[in-house]
Amino acid sequence: MKILGRDMNKKKAISLLVLFVILLIVPKFSSYTTLSLFTRIFILSVYAMSYDILRGYTGFINLGHAIFFGGGAYIGGILFKQIKPSMPVFILAILVTILYSSIGAYLMGKISLRKGGSVLTATMITLALGEIVRNTAEKWRSVTNGSDGLTFNIPEFFQDRYLYYYIALFFLIIMAIILKKFIMSPSGRVLLAIRENEQRAEFLGFDTEKFKLISLQVAGIAGGLSGIIFGIFNRFANTELLSTNQTINALLYTLVGGTGTLYGGIVGTTIVTLFQNFLLNLRSIHPIFERWLIFSGALYVAVVLFMPKGIVGLWLHYFQNRAKKVKEALKMESNPSE
Amino acid sequence: MDIFLTLVINGLSEGALIFLMASGLSIICGLMGVVNFSHGALFVWGGYTFVWIYRMTNSFVLGILAAVISVFILGIIFEKFFVNKVYGNAPAQILITLGLQIVFTDLVRLLWGATPIAVGRPAYLAGTTIIAGVTIVHYRVFLIVVGLLVALIVGYILSHSKTGMIIRAGVQRPDMVQALGINIKLYFTIVFAAGAALAGLGGALYAPLVGNVVSTAGAYNQILAFIVVVIGGLGNFVGTAKGCIFLGIMGAFVAWFAPSLAVVANVGLMAIVLAFKPEGLFGTAVKK
Repeated sequence: MKILGRDMNKKKAISLLVLFVILLIVPKFSSYTTLSLFTRIFILSVYAMSYDILRGYTGFINLGHAIFFGGGAYIGGILFKQIKPSMPVFILAILVTILYSSIGAYLMGKISLRKGGSVLTATMITLALGEIVRNTAEKWRSVTNGSDGLTFNIPEFFQDRYLYYYIALFFLIIMAIILKKFIMSPSGRVLLAIRENEQRAEFLGFDTEKFKLISLQVAGIAGGLSGIIFGIFNRFANTELLSTNQTINALLYTLVGGTGTLYGGIVGTTIVTLFQNFLLNLRSIHPIFERWLIFSGALYVAVVLFMPKGIVGLWLHYFQNRAKKVKEALKMESNPSE
Repeated sequence: MDIFLTLVINGLSEGALIFLMASGLSIICGLMGVVNFSHGALFVWGGYTFVWIYRMTNSFVLGILAAVISVFILGIIFEKFFVNKVYGNAPAQILITLGLQIVFTDLVRLLWGATPIAVGRPAYLAGTTIIAGVTIVHYRVFLIVVGLLVALIVGYILSHSKTGMIIRAGVQRPDMVQALGINIKLYFTIVFAAGAALAGLGGALYAPLVGNVVSTAGAYNQILAFIVVVIGGLGNFVGTAKGCIFLGIMGAFVAWFAPSLAVVANVGLMAIVLAFKPEGLFGTAVKK
């Protein structure tokens, strides 16, 4: 259990194991649509967690994060189309995405994470950078097929939807462990220090800009990898995947789940995706439910106003309070004179 | 030479439009430290209200008035119910205004549809004049005049009137201004709504220039405004005005000589400015 972090106790481990077993047997009993829905949730959860590394652990709001996600989907698609849909090309796509994401994150960080620059400027700059990548993809028709989107064939291994469900689940687990390890590592601890008090972290001798850059790169690579898997799942990539809306989705997932908790990303993605699915099913009742963005935007404003810590945040808060109360009650019992 | 002049006029008129949006953004940021990510939605609302009223009454002036007033009211609502809950918390401001941007841009699509609506210029602004081989589009000249007028009026209010004095004082020390018995919250609301109204005016004037109005125009223009504000220095009114002229003219020349680079050039410029002069090209930015 050590790989899952130090705060892992028996109760948590058992409940996670039960969840894992349930997820393993879900495909046996569920329809094709439910299966796709779950696969989507697994992949987008990784994307949300990659966003949480930035937003939750460094406090940096990146409005161009979709360029990694969409970039991954496009790199996979373009390579499958231009070379051939086979496993070696898939490996190549992963390598190219890692390279693309780390270079992209490096450039993005160098421009936006300036010393003394405020969170506001950084946010505006990342928005502009995200938009430039989307525009380039739209204009570069010969490779990306412009705004029509890119359809492509995928390796035979990925074609079975049941198998792909397990691949996505496996991907989620692996990425969750890797990202957790990163947060638990000394570099991750420095990131937490930066979030809590950037000035102090600087006084302690840490080059905060460098550590933010590292977190941006980790987030970028994780986002890019989830992009490839998502692209293969859809067998399609379009510029919508690169747009600010896609970034805002990640922001919504982490916000609803709770920022700075990593697992919050998974919870948030699950809830938001299920909610979205529920609304889409209501569309036969009234066409307003097709305008999912209105509801997601409203949900978003409501969460920021009333629940800034998200669901996981509230949950932890509740349990900490309860633990405190139990402790106090015990104290009272041992000292009845007070 | 004639091409040069035409491009300068085009650039200045584009700059005037960006200015309408960026100046509001810049003043709001200077006074309240809020970067309003819902500015694009306000811009689009201005555009659609204008087109709606203009098509109904056939009066250009009425359309503009309706746009400015409706967006002013929208600005008051945004400030009163949402933005003032999160003062001093920059990430929450960004998130909440982003949320408003999503909701209100999509409401436009719900009310008026997602396809572009064509709109013409009024007869008295539609023509062109050719002077010594230079084609001058009347509407562009009109935009330059409006931009100049707004710049002068806002500049005058900020630097010469009592209201401007309070706003400038509020930028420095809002708590002190409050202590002097001035209702600074009221000023916050008014400045936010006024900035919104400028964006609405920008949206209304933008529609006849490009010949249609579409809900995605807001996001695009918002990015241009952000670039200008970053170049000009956050919260710096004069810097923003200069940045608009600069960006507008550069945009016109790039669009003529290297059209494929149009978007890249703007962001490239911003990146270069930030790399070498992070406080903005024209003076220092206000740090909040």
